[in-house]
Amino acid sequence: MAALKREVVRAEESEVYDVELSEDLLKANQRLAEENKRFLHENGVRAIDIMGAIGSGKTSLIEKLVQLLKTRYKIAVFKGDLTTTIDAELIARHGVETIAINTGKECHLDANLVKKALQRLDLNSIDLLFIENVGNLICPAEFPLGSDKRMVVVSVTEGPYMVVKHPFIFMEADVVAINKVDLAKAMGVDVERLEKDVKTINPKTMVVATNCRNGEGVDHVAKALRL
Amino acid sequence: MHEFSVTSQIVRSVLEEGEKRRAKKVTEVHLVIGKLTFLGLEQVRFAYEVLTKGTIMEGSKLFIEKQEGVVKCNHCGYEGGFKYEDDPLYHVPVPTLKCPQCSNVVNTVAGKECAIKSIKMMV
Repeated sequence: MAALKREVVRAEESEVYDVELSEDLLKANQRLAEENKRFLHENGVRAIDIMGAIGSGKTSLIEKLVQLLKTRYKIAVFKGDLTTTIDAELIARHGVETIAINTGKECHLDANLVKKALQRLDLNSIDLLFIENVGNLICPAEFPLGSDKRMVVVSVTEGPYMVVKHPFIFMEADVVAINKVDLAKAMGVDVERLEKDVKTINPKTMVVATNCRNGEGVDHVAKALRL
Repeated sequence: MHEFSVTSQIVRSVLEEGEKRRAKKVTEVHLVIGKLTFLGLEQVRFAYEVLTKGTIMEGSKLFIEKQEGVVKCNHCGYEGGFKYEDDPLYHVPVPTLKCPQCSNVVNTVAGKECAIKSIKMMV
C-alpha cells in the first residue's frame, strides 16, 4: 500500500525550482580565444584573422602576403573551409606550413577549432600565423579566435553596398582591404565610396585598396598590420 | 546564421543543469540575446522546439529578453545607444562607432550577449 501511495505523489507548485544561471554561450568562445591569444604570445607568435565573403580574395591576399613576408617571418597558415584542401594547397606551394581546418557544416571558425589546430603546429618554428576564416561576412564577427588583429577583405565585385549591408563585421576590423580594384571601373563601383563607408562605420580601422593579381597595395596591407 | 548550433548548446547546458538537480521536467527557460548578435530569434525558437523533443525540456516555455546595443565613450563618458548616420545615397541609417556626443571612437559594452539567465524546473 505504501508503495502505491508513493507512486501517486506529484510535484507541487512549491517544488518548482528556479535556477539562476547567467551562462553566456558566446562568452565561452571568447574565453577560449583569450587562452589561444595567451598561448600564442607565450610562444612569440603574432596571429592575424582574415575574414571576408566567399570569393573576395582572402586566399589570394594571403598568398601575396606570404610571398612578401616569408623572408622576414617564419609563417604558418590556417585555412578554414567547409570542406576540401584546395586553398590550403595553393598556399602551401609557397613553402609555408599550412593546416586546413574543415568545419564540416559550420559557417565560421571558432576558438576551439583554432585551439585544436594550434596543437598540430610547432610554435617554436614560426612567428607569424595567418588564419583564413570561412567565406562569410556575418558569423565570423561573432567568434573571436585569439588573433592580434582582425582583417576584412571586401572586393569591388561584390557590388557597391557590401559594406553598409554588413556594418558589424567592419566594426570588428583593425584593417580592411578593398580588393580587385583593377575591376572597379568594369563593375561601376567607386572605391573611394567603399572606403568612406568603412570609415563611417569604424573610424579607427585602416583601409587599403588592393589588387591581388599584380600585388598592388599588398605592402600597404602589411604595413597596416604592422608587419 | 548559427542558431541551430547555438541553440543546441543552450539545450545541452539546460539538460546538464536539470540532470545535476535530478529534475523531472524543465518548465521555463529564460534567455538574454543581444541585438548585436546575428541570432534570429524566430530561428532560435524553431531550433529550440526541434531540439527539446523527447527530452525533459519538451513543451517548456522559452522566454527571450532582447538586449539593446550599448556603447561607451572614454573621452566624454557617453553611455547609450549607437549613433546612426543617415546616408542620402543609400536611404539607410548606418551604425557608426563615432560617439554621438563628441565624435571620438566608442567601445561596445552591451548587445553581444547570448546567455541563459534562469531555468525553471520541477524536481
